[in-house]
Amino acid sequence: MEKQYRLLYDENLCIGCQACSVACRVEHNVPDDFYRVQVHMQTLGIFPNLGMRYERLSCVMCENPPCVSVCPTHASFQSKDGLVHIDERVCITCKYCILACPYHARFVNPLKNVVEKCNFCYDTRVSKELKPACVTTCPTEALSFGDMRQKNSLVHQKSQKEVLLFPKEHLGTKPKVAFIPSRKGVKS
Amino acid sequence: MSPMWGSVEQYSTIHWSWAIAIYLFLAGLSSGSIIVALLVKWNRHERSNSSIWDAMIKAGAVVAPTAIFLGLLLLVIDLGRPLSFYWLLLRYNVTSVMSLGVLFLLIYTPIVIVFMLLVFERSVIRHPILAPLEGLINLVKSFHSYAKVIEYFLFVAALCVGSYTGFLLSALYAIPLWNSPLLPVIFLTSSLSSGVAVNILVGLLFFKSALNTESIKYLLVLDTRVILTELPLLALFFIGLFYAGGDAPTAAKAALTEGFWAGIFWLGVIGVGLGLPLITVIIALKSHVYRVGYIVTNSMVVVLGVLMLRYYIIYAGQIYFG
Repeated sequence: MEKQYRLLYDENLCIGCQACSVACRVEHNVPDDFYRVQVHMQTLGIFPNLGMRYERLSCVMCENPPCVSVCPTHASFQSKDGLVHIDERVCITCKYCILACPYHARFVNPLKNVVEKCNFCYDTRVSKELKPACVTTCPTEALSFGDMRQKNSLVHQKSQKEVLLFPKEHLGTKPKVAFIPSRKGVKS
Repeated sequence: MSPMWGSVEQYSTIHWSWAIAIYLFLAGLSSGSIIVALLVKWNRHERSNSSIWDAMIKAGAVVAPTAIFLGLLLLVIDLGRPLSFYWLLLRYNVTSVMSLGVLFLLIYTPIVIVFMLLVFERSVIRHPILAPLEGLINLVKSFHSYAKVIEYFLFVAALCVGSYTGFLLSALYAIPLWNSPLLPVIFLTSSLSSGVAVNILVGLLFFKSALNTESIKYLLVLDTRVILTELPLLALFFIGLFYAGGDAPTAAKAALTEGFWAGIFWLGVIGVGLGLPLITVIIALKSHVYRVGYIVTNSMVVVLGVLMLRYYIIYAGQIYFG
């Protein structure tokens, strides 16, 4: 692996403003009613003891991606940086990868008729040493992104300090997106 | 979970719909009918001169290529980019069941056509309209001495085509209702069931043969045997899901009790597809009355049940996540 990217989502800092989602739409021209990233929120508890639960939905860039092993034409592939990309030229839109993805991260872009998902803004930003659009836009710095091999980077330091949750860890997909759960505990 | 902003449509879309359900049915029907035809050819044909066996082989030789052709057509049409389907033939991924399926179909489809031409060799030669095809017919005829080898090869290829559709779904661990090792077995068994039924039906309708009570009884019993294997398999399928980890138990419970698709399962798959044929056979065997009517109804109901099983698995899998 050339790079060891990681995206951290801090639930304690997220305010559910959806700026990340809007930034993503602008960056990638995502058609109406489709999303590469969405933050869902739910109010829990009984008044006055209420709390919010946030859930960030996007591609989590698995180390061991089921969408890649399932793709019949290698249109879904993993780069040497370990990121999962889609080769639009050879995608036949069989939708097998969409069904294989446990994170519901993929959808068919109705304008291009190909499967699409978050790519960490690799083409437009990360390949130019910039941070993804959602990370730069986030007003509360709930998102941090970087290379885990750089020991002085914010992601590395935060990863050392915080409790990290990897979504659907039991599936063995080894996501590169990690969650810092709410320190207020879980309300039900 | 409600989003603050925007549509959540994409998280609950049915990505594989009726076209895939029908393809799974047609692929199963094709492989089932050719497997049954071959078994009859090897085990029954030589010994018995009763023409029902001959009709079963002819039916298999007609149904198998037709079903697989229609199925493949549907499969390509259902792609988001149908005209790019050729990439499937140029690029292979050995870890993808879909790629393996393409390989099986590439072997299976030509052999099934050769088998059809071998079975109908004489009628093809006689037909004046088909005269321009003489070269092709002669080519197929030259394979005649290899008929047995072709049949063995076809049998194995048909087993692959009949079961790969099950593996295609069970490989997806994101979908609890599909991720079961029993799915390929269930699909193969129900394929055989539909193969028996459709061969009987087509054999009776198009290759009119004198039916005696003995062969009716035999066919009914044959049908029943497959059904009696399918019922415990379906029970095991759900029991397995209930003991599986993660979201499987909740998904299985919902799939059996909630909404339209639970109804399809109990009324369509269990009631019409498995229950009705069982009752027909029990009545027929008990009263010792073997009517052609019984066998025709029985066959149609079995085929309908198998189709509904594919529909149920495809839709319930994508709706009930647990």
